[in-house]
Amino acid sequence: MPEPSAYRWDNPWLRWSVIALVVLTIVTVLIGFVWLPSVHGDFTAQGLWASICRAAGVPASWSNAPSVKAAWRATDVVLDRDMTRIADKDAVGRGATLALNCTMCHGAQGVSASDAPNLAGQYPEVVIKELRDYQDGRRSSTIMEALAKGLSARDIDDLAAYYAYLPKARTSPTTYDEALPALVRVGDPLRNIAPCIACHGQVDQKLGAPWLEGMPKAYVVAQITAFRDGTRRNDPEAQMRNMVRTMTREEIDQVAAFYARKASTNPGQ
Amino acid sequence: VFLARKLVLAHFAVALVAFLGAIVLGEWQMLVRSPLHAWVNNPEHYYRSVTAHGTVMAYVLPTLIAMGFGYAVSELSLGRALVGLRWAWAGFWLVIGGTVLAAATIAAGRASVLYTFYPPMLASPVYYLGVVLVVVGSWIWVALMSINLRAWRRDHPGATVPLAMFGTLAGAYLWAWTSVGAAVEVLALILPASLGLTDTINAGLARVFFSWTLHAIVYFWLMPAYIAFYTIVPRAIGGRLYSDTMARVAFALFLVFSMPIGIHHLFADPQVGAGFKFVHAAMTAMVSVPTLLTVFTILASVEIAGRLRGGRGALGWIKALPWDNSMMLGVTFSFVMLGLGGAGGLINMSYQLNETIHNTQWVTGHFHLIFGGAIVIMYFMIAYELWPQLTGCAPLPRRLVNTQLWLWFVGMLVLSMPWHLVGLLGMPRRMAYYDYSDPALHPQAWTVTMSTLGGAVLVVSALLLVFILARALRTSGPSPSFTFSVTAHPGAATPALLNRFALWIVMMIGLTLVNYAFPIAQLASLKEASVPVIPIGSR
Repeated sequence: MPEPSAYRWDNPWLRWSVIALVVLTIVTVLIGFVWLPSVHGDFTAQGLWASICRAAGVPASWSNAPSVKAAWRATDVVLDRDMTRIADKDAVGRGATLALNCTMCHGAQGVSASDAPNLAGQYPEVVIKELRDYQDGRRSSTIMEALAKGLSARDIDDLAAYYAYLPKARTSPTTYDEALPALVRVGDPLRNIAPCIACHGQVDQKLGAPWLEGMPKAYVVAQITAFRDGTRRNDPEAQMRNMVRTMTREEIDQVAAFYARKASTNPGQ
Repeated sequence: VFLARKLVLAHFAVALVAFLGAIVLGEWQMLVRSPLHAWVNNPEHYYRSVTAHGTVMAYVLPTLIAMGFGYAVSELSLGRALVGLRWAWAGFWLVIGGTVLAAATIAAGRASVLYTFYPPMLASPVYYLGVVLVVVGSWIWVALMSINLRAWRRDHPGATVPLAMFGTLAGAYLWAWTSVGAAVEVLALILPASLGLTDTINAGLARVFFSWTLHAIVYFWLMPAYIAFYTIVPRAIGGRLYSDTMARVAFALFLVFSMPIGIHHLFADPQVGAGFKFVHAAMTAMVSVPTLLTVFTILASVEIAGRLRGGRGALGWIKALPWDNSMMLGVTFSFVMLGLGGAGGLINMSYQLNETIHNTQWVTGHFHLIFGGAIVIMYFMIAYELWPQLTGCAPLPRRLVNTQLWLWFVGMLVLSMPWHLVGLLGMPRRMAYYDYSDPALHPQAWTVTMSTLGGAVLVVSALLLVFILARALRTSGPSPSFTFSVTAHPGAATPALLNRFALWIVMMIGLTLVNYAFPIAQLASLKEASVPVIPIGSR
């Protein structure tokens, strides 16, 4: 138990410890919040109090521009984890009915025989995002824009549920060894190209990144090329455009061939 | 006296086995990204390995060593049986259980978050649960240390707490307060998001909470090493502790200043105000005070040993030191690495200089030198010191021990110096591979090979350590009595405040509130700080 003298103000150890700490704190706070900001124009333009607020991380306004012009946006769709939830049977049934409209290009069971993308087993948020982007004109296709126009939000969710329900077009299990194209496996760090498998499955599958295995080669080539040329721009934060900008024609071909190479032998599956 | 023998031995044994596994992973990481190996096919395996290596080395190893050493110090310095032995075992099993949970989740690829809790990247909840169990186990240790001191005080009213126990308690209280930051982050922010209850997370706030723990945890790792500096080194080399008071001042200052400085890890974070960054940088500089006090006191204590052995003149005492003594070698290596690492640390804590090395290999080099070097080599010394006590083995083979220490020292320098160099050149940390075929990177390729060789030397040293300790289990020798260092001025009065903690704890908490309360409150109220979560390996 402490002796009575230890915690009294007349104990010099206590007095000087407390005084030293308080002085140190006050001096550093004054330097950090008053003196250092005073030599910086950004901090002092609106007076002392504003400069203290700014040093504390709460500027009165985050920008001096009176009105920030809304930047051009790639897409109006905000990807939401809710989009990935497995839908109930009714939604799948409604989606199956609506999907009769899609069979001409995307195949009776979502596997295309005509170089349109496979939709069987596609992640629901991917189908939702692309259909909404077609509706908003963020992604262009004469056929798809026209078809998407008439869909309600619920129609879109139902279609996504139906296609997610169908079995995926799978390439046979690939061992991820050196036989894979380098860009698929490891990307190219010095060109800022991340490996495909970091988002499109295998290492990780990121929200909104489509299932690519078994996709028609011509479709993949067309989309990468469109991203590269900037004719397709509905990727948020220009994710895909930045990835593929420095890819050569041969590399695009190689990557597309890899994803297409073992398309399901039974398109009706 | 030594009733907790099995308990302490269990802590050290598990720590060493985990350490051996993690060091092999570390060397594998160096190898696969060096020019000696083709690029790793699945970069995820690299990040999984980083997560496992960091989780074991940063959380499991130091926690187990601090706990085991604390129990030993409690019995050896207070000279009485440990109170709450059953609780201590419960704490031990919690740490083990937590480690197994975390390790299994990492191995399954559901937790490759690189062992730092920086949202929006999130691991499976099981991983966080595992880490929480490790921390809860260590909280039991904190409580037991406090209870044991209280019991001893009741029986020895007015007596001065032995220095080793004073340092242990400083470490325990520091850890109790320090772990609160990450605990709040995990329980209030990360777990709800990781469990899927929310799909956004306040990333800025989470980072500030993590910084609360992130820097002070280093001083929790460091405490056992400092306790060994003060209470074992002088005795082991035949000297006297130069000043008991100085040691207590250093422990008290660590308690006050290690905590409210973590924002220097967030210098590049725009959500934290520049004023707070400066205050934290200035307070970080204050930590150099107890560090330099320690360096001075231990050097003076070593000088006493040199003079007692007949050393004369300004430098003659250095030659007279027992250079074949393992502890002499250990403390020398530790100080050299502490000095180099500390100099690097001055760069890290400086707001402006930090910009050049932020998130580069420099940082990896820095903490390997300080923690893996200066601190872990003292963990080895503690294990060597305690081993005859714990196992009743014969004295350890000195030449083998010295070889092990040399290998660790050389290996750590060869590993971390190239990292410092390329860090200055801008090499980012936590990369699974580098493209050495690029003309811009090609000239740096040799440094990574160099670090790989250094890492290989460290693996050999770690194997040798475990071999020495395992082989000793089969020998038996006289059971020596364990003593702590004697001070140069025995009987000198200890100032009353340096015999208790309340003032220093109040200062620690007060300073934390001054330095953290506002950024936390501000970020907690900032809606824009919430971002969508990114669960790792969820699909």
